[in-house]
Amino acid sequence: MRKFFTLSSLLALSLTACGAGDNGPIKLGMISALTGDAAAIGADQLSGVQMAIAEINAAGGVNGRQIELIAEDGKCAGADGATAAQKLVNVDKVVAIVGGLCSGETLAAAPIAEAAKVIMLSPSASSPDITKAGDFIFRDYPSDAGKTKAIAKYFADEKYSRIAILSENTDYSQALRASLKKDLPEGAVVFDENFDPGTKDFRSLLGRLKDAEYDALVSNPNSDGVNAVIVQQFRELELPGQIVGTDTMDSVVIAQIAGEEADGVMLVNVPTAGEGTSFEADFTAKNGDPKSSIAWAAYSYDAVKVLAQAFKAVGTDGMAVKDYLYSMQPYTGVIGSFHFDGNGDPVGLSYVLKKFDDGKVVTVKPLPLE
Amino acid sequence: MQLLANALIAGSLAALIAGGLALVYGVLGVFNMALGQLALTGGYIAWWLHQVAHLSLFVSVIGGLISGALMTWLTFEVFVRPFYKHHRFLPLVTTIAWSMILDGLILLVFEERPRSILSGGKSMIPIGSALISKEQCIMIILTIASLLLFAWVFHCTPFGRKLRAVVQHESAARSLGINSAVLHRVIFIVSGVFAAAGGIFIGIDQNLSPTLAFSLTIKAYAAIIAGGKGNIWGAIICAYAIALLEQLLVGIHWFGAFYVPAGYQQTVALLFIIGILLLKPSGLFRSVSRTA
Repeated sequence: MRKFFTLSSLLALSLTACGAGDNGPIKLGMISALTGDAAAIGADQLSGVQMAIAEINAAGGVNGRQIELIAEDGKCAGADGATAAQKLVNVDKVVAIVGGLCSGETLAAAPIAEAAKVIMLSPSASSPDITKAGDFIFRDYPSDAGKTKAIAKYFADEKYSRIAILSENTDYSQALRASLKKDLPEGAVVFDENFDPGTKDFRSLLGRLKDAEYDALVSNPNSDGVNAVIVQQFRELELPGQIVGTDTMDSVVIAQIAGEEADGVMLVNVPTAGEGTSFEADFTAKNGDPKSSIAWAAYSYDAVKVLAQAFKAVGTDGMAVKDYLYSMQPYTGVIGSFHFDGNGDPVGLSYVLKKFDDGKVVTVKPLPLE
Repeated sequence: MQLLANALIAGSLAALIAGGLALVYGVLGVFNMALGQLALTGGYIAWWLHQVAHLSLFVSVIGGLISGALMTWLTFEVFVRPFYKHHRFLPLVTTIAWSMILDGLILLVFEERPRSILSGGKSMIPIGSALISKEQCIMIILTIASLLLFAWVFHCTPFGRKLRAVVQHESAARSLGINSAVLHRVIFIVSGVFAAAGGIFIGIDQNLSPTLAFSLTIKAYAAIIAGGKGNIWGAIICAYAIALLEQLLVGIHWFGAFYVPAGYQQTVALLFIIGILLLKPSGLFRSVSRTA
């Protein structure tokens, strides 16, 4: 009998210990590129997440609980993304993860989060493969499947019928390339080359464009640093035709490095969310100018706010949060108004055409999809 | 023609780094795995002096070279000198540790975004059918000039004779009164200056990012191994040859039928080295002084 008492009191004790956790801080994980080629984007994402958490905590937290951030470096790479997810899920036991930044690290981390029923909400991974990555995997950044349709529409509008594509050998760039080739008319792709990550010398490869008949080059590397080199070397070789980039072209770094050579480069991307809003003013007051673009901070900020709204409504249980997100009413944040479809992809976000003009990225026109 | 120019640009860069490395290996028998990071340090400091401190380009480049020399000296005193007499593979491990520390330091100090020493457009000069920028011309000429200067020192001066003596037979050289310890230090620092020059080259021609270091080191090692370990001329020639091969691979319409996919550019070049080593296991230009 005494044994039973001891046991049951131990049990009671352990139960109270568990119960105490419900009033402790909510552990929110984050996977982003804190180092490596994409780290300028990662720095903006981290600032955006920290800003959202600071605001929520200052306002009393989620149902009285503070949010505690644990950020891990996924280095924009699959292996590091998986390691980061393992640590967040198994060691820190986070309730949800904001991230990853790149599609490769997100895809590698997804099965780990899925198995542990931990929500992952990526603010920037755009590979079409993430649509099917799992029930617990969400993003508030549109899939490249829509973006390549927008690019194809832009090419059709401009009557660019012969397209050259230069892609990095990474998950993100390859998925975009495959999706773009599917959306372009048959025979439109006249040049289609891939290069290894780390390449910074494209002169001979671009030199072949001299003899190729093409209207536009789609520059499709995984980072802005490489895009800057491609733009520079493209101009150095005095090649004709239009350079068209995507997300990784949407960075002030390119104008800083390539200078006036960047002028005239077009890109198709999501709108520069947050630009000219009070969000941008708050961000700059706290962190200085964004390292890459205010948009990265905006998507990350909204990701945290959506998760916090879910925690507030249904608590922090993974299953409950997942069901809440799928049936959520459209959420209006810095990036616009969106909700999630049955695959965890956002509905309601669209693309715009932008260009480099006098060292800045300016919006040219929206590219609405039918 | 353009391909040749491209190969000269890429080859000069590789030769700068590989030449110094081959010298260090030939004289000390030591692998310096932190070389890529030392190159980046030189490049980043030149960037900082030019873009942040707004010094003239010439002063910045000199500053980058001097800081490269100082960093290499530090590397030698702390991570190489205490170890290499015990076993010449020990510095392999210590310099890998140092390279990781430097990776972190570079990230911390210079941040993660790509940096370019000269931003903006470059004026292109047509030479024959090739387009090449003024900066690239200067860098190619400077590289070749410094390599020739080094050749002259190596072959035509008393200092060079001492150097060759140490390379050929170290203990015999010592018994003739040559202070090999000082020579080792000098050689090591010279290799660092060459590497820093390579880093500055990248910073001017392309851009610097913290993740670049390891691939620089690997390319330099490929060149010295194919060139005959420790043979400085072999290493330099192979650095140019590998660069040319890489450019030809992706730039030529082979047999009028196909292009080698650019993704295989580096792989095929390294396969070529493996081919050479199968035929001539000691490298294209065998070193008489030291075999690994």
